[in-house]
Amino acid sequence: MGIRVAIVAFLAGLGTWAHAADSIEALANTCNNCHGVNGVSVGPTMPSIAGLPQAYLTNVMLEWKSGTRFSATMGRLLKGYSDVQIADLAAHFAKQRWVPQAQKLDEARVRLGAQSLKRCEKCHGNDGLPRDGETPPVNGQWAGYLYLESLKYHDEAVGMSNRQMRGAMKRLRDEDLRAVADYYASQK
Amino acid sequence: MSRLNRRDFLKAVTLAAPALALHAPWAHADGKSRVLVVGGGFGGAVAAKYLKMLAPQLDVTLVERNRVYVSCPLSNEVISGHGEIKDLEAGYDGLQKRGVNVVFDEATAIDAAKRTVTLKSGTTLAYDALVLSPGIDFNYAGVEGYTEELANGDLPHAYKAGPQTLVLKKQLEAMPDGGTFIITVPPGPFRCPPGPYERASQVAAYLRGHGKTKSKVLILDANDSFSKKGLFEQAWKTHYGSMIEWVPGASDGKVVKIDPGTKTAYTNFGEHKADVLNVIPPHHAGSIARNAGLTNEKGWCTVDMLTMESSVQKDIWVVGDACTHGDLPVYPMPKSAHAAVTQAKVAVGAILARLAGQPAPTPYFVNTCYSIAAPDWGFSVVHVYRVEGGKLIYAQEAGGISAIETPALTTLRKLEAGYALGWLKNIMADSFA
Ligand SMILES: Cc1cc2nc3c(=O)[nH]c(=O)nc-3n(C[C@H](O)[C@H](O)[C@H](O)COP(=O)(O)OP(=O)(O)OC[C@H]3O[C@@H](n4cnc5c(N)ncnc54)[C@H](O)[C@@H]3O)c2cc1C
Ligand code: HEC
Ligand code: HEC
Repeated sequence: MGIRVAIVAFLAGLGTWAHAADSIEALANTCNNCHGVNGVSVGPTMPSIAGLPQAYLTNVMLEWKSGTRFSATMGRLLKGYSDVQIADLAAHFAKQRWVPQAQKLDEARVRLGAQSLKRCEKCHGNDGLPRDGETPPVNGQWAGYLYLESLKYHDEAVGMSNRQMRGAMKRLRDEDLRAVADYYASQK
Repeated sequence: MSRLNRRDFLKAVTLAAPALALHAPWAHADGKSRVLVVGGGFGGAVAAKYLKMLAPQLDVTLVERNRVYVSCPLSNEVISGHGEIKDLEAGYDGLQKRGVNVVFDEATAIDAAKRTVTLKSGTTLAYDALVLSPGIDFNYAGVEGYTEELANGDLPHAYKAGPQTLVLKKQLEAMPDGGTFIITVPPGPFRCPPGPYERASQVAAYLRGHGKTKSKVLILDANDSFSKKGLFEQAWKTHYGSMIEWVPGASDGKVVKIDPGTKTAYTNFGEHKADVLNVIPPHHAGSIARNAGLTNEKGWCTVDMLTMESSVQKDIWVVGDACTHGDLPVYPMPKSAHAAVTQAKVAVGAILARLAGQPAPTPYFVNTCYSIAAPDWGFSVVHVYRVEGGKLIYAQEAGGISAIETPALTTLRKLEAGYALGWLKNIMADSFA
């Protein structure tokens, strides 16, 4: 390799630092302090977002931006980003691997959850793996997050738009909501 | 690049390619650029970690005074007994494993001309780029009668989490029913704008939870408004009746003097006797930054809004509580852990670009502060910034505070109280793991 070629290669190498920082990664890195490094959460109430289906990611983020989807926090954040940035973020996180998290869970509650799946299995299976672009994986997602998310569907006042999910959650008692959350969280 | 190592390359650059000599100032005989980070709090830890993550070949050294870092976020919850201080602690082995050279020492002086930093032990470290994230130090003289010795003794400010947090917790627990817990708030800017009000809420939560309902929490404030005021006032009314009273600066709330013996706080025209007196003194950028001449007349470091490089001194980047940053004066960035972390990531991008002789990349700044005002009752404020026409602006269409009036009120508050806990775990991991 001639020196000049080497220099160009080296500069290109240096360039990737800067380029990486200039690309969608710089924006995606701002998500890390809530969703974990590269979207793999270590905080039991915050969802992992690495490896969610691209269609789901795009859809929920655009709905938050337009205000048609309820959120505690995300809507206020995404209103600051363009549709293109949102599409790039969705593509970026969809490319990552889905990493089910090993969690401390109450075994009795997981067993109760396993018995309370009849309103869920049709769409989430008994393994919680993603079935289509609309249904996110819930296997190994954080139990704390799944429980909080299910409260959104449970409380009619929140008005989540997915009617089937609302219907499925409606009749469950608080302890059942926790149990099914723990059950799916326990799946690998 | 396989047959040419970095040293050969640098030789090649200086000998054969004068056009590339712009890299020369960064080049070193050992072939590595040296980035030094002073202060291993949220800002400094993230800077060191992301430098190593994005450019593993860099020589990154972090200088930090303490072996264990204690997070201020969620430390108010420790005072009320809703959290444990051990859950707020982080060590530096995560950064060491990533190849960051961690030096436990105190930086005592910066020589910007020579590009060196001197440590208390006497060592001198050279840098090509310096990141400062020293946080804040206190101006005890700002409240007559208050001193650092008192803060470390019977009158903790507990505005740096650690032993003082636990002293304040003990004092709260020992306070008799009917007692008065006074929190004094300094003139802004101070770190964590919602911090004093969250603390008042947590103190009230403890008192309520322990049946000490005749007690009072008095906030004596030098300012006339505060962060998330509507949300706090709603929470106070909902959970604590009239237990918490806030006295703004305009109503003589500013504390100018205290008598430590009688735990009395004096405002310009009044005096208030406390059972527990929690003075939060005014602050300024960490002393190392001030001594290096990087601060303005108000005591904060001014920076290039898009890169975080000091506007006083080239090759020094200041992030976190120590800097003044944001869409000034429209919407300055709050002094928060979340802000410190995004600022540090931007500084890393700018430094790597500088080392590569390239223009700084587009910066992304965002902030969120969760506050927990009662069990299952949390809320937040969000700030998003973007670059427009080469200037940093606050994105008006985004951000703002959690809804105050909403039919889903209790669910929403419960959600954000939960998210606050997960946020802390992730930001700690983002910084230290
Ligand atoms: C009660 C309270 C509650 C808070 N709650 C929240 C919250 O919920 N959310 C949020 O986002 N923020 C919160 N904050 C604010 C947050 O703690 C700070 O904004 C954040 O810590 C700033 O990070 P930093 O890196 O600038 O400084 P720091 O975290 O203070 O770190 C500075 C570090 O530098 C070291 N240092 C300083 N000088 C030297 C030197 N000369 N040599 C060597 N080492 C040195 C110090 O030892 C320290 O470890 C809260 C603050 C308080 C007080
Ligand atoms: C301040 C913390 C915070 C930051 C920063 C943040 N998020 Fe979130 N995120 C949340 C919370 C909280 C939720 C739960 C939804 C809600 O109610 O807001 C969430 C949910 C999500 C979800 C839905 C996950 C699921 O399983 O349905 C996606 C996708 C997401 N965030 C993407 C992002 C992206 C991309 C970024 C960076 C641009 C980001 N978030 C930054 C707090 C944050
Ligand atoms: C008819 C299909 C269907 C049924 C039945 C169903 N779900 Fe869902 N679930 C979905 C879809 C689709 C989504 C995504 C909804 C959206 O985008 O609003 C979802 C989302 C979720 C989420 C949020 C995941 C995330 O990452 O934010 C949880 C938790 C969940 N379901 C749990 C359950 C449980 C528990 C049951 C049974 C009580 C159940 N679901 C029944 C289709 C279904």
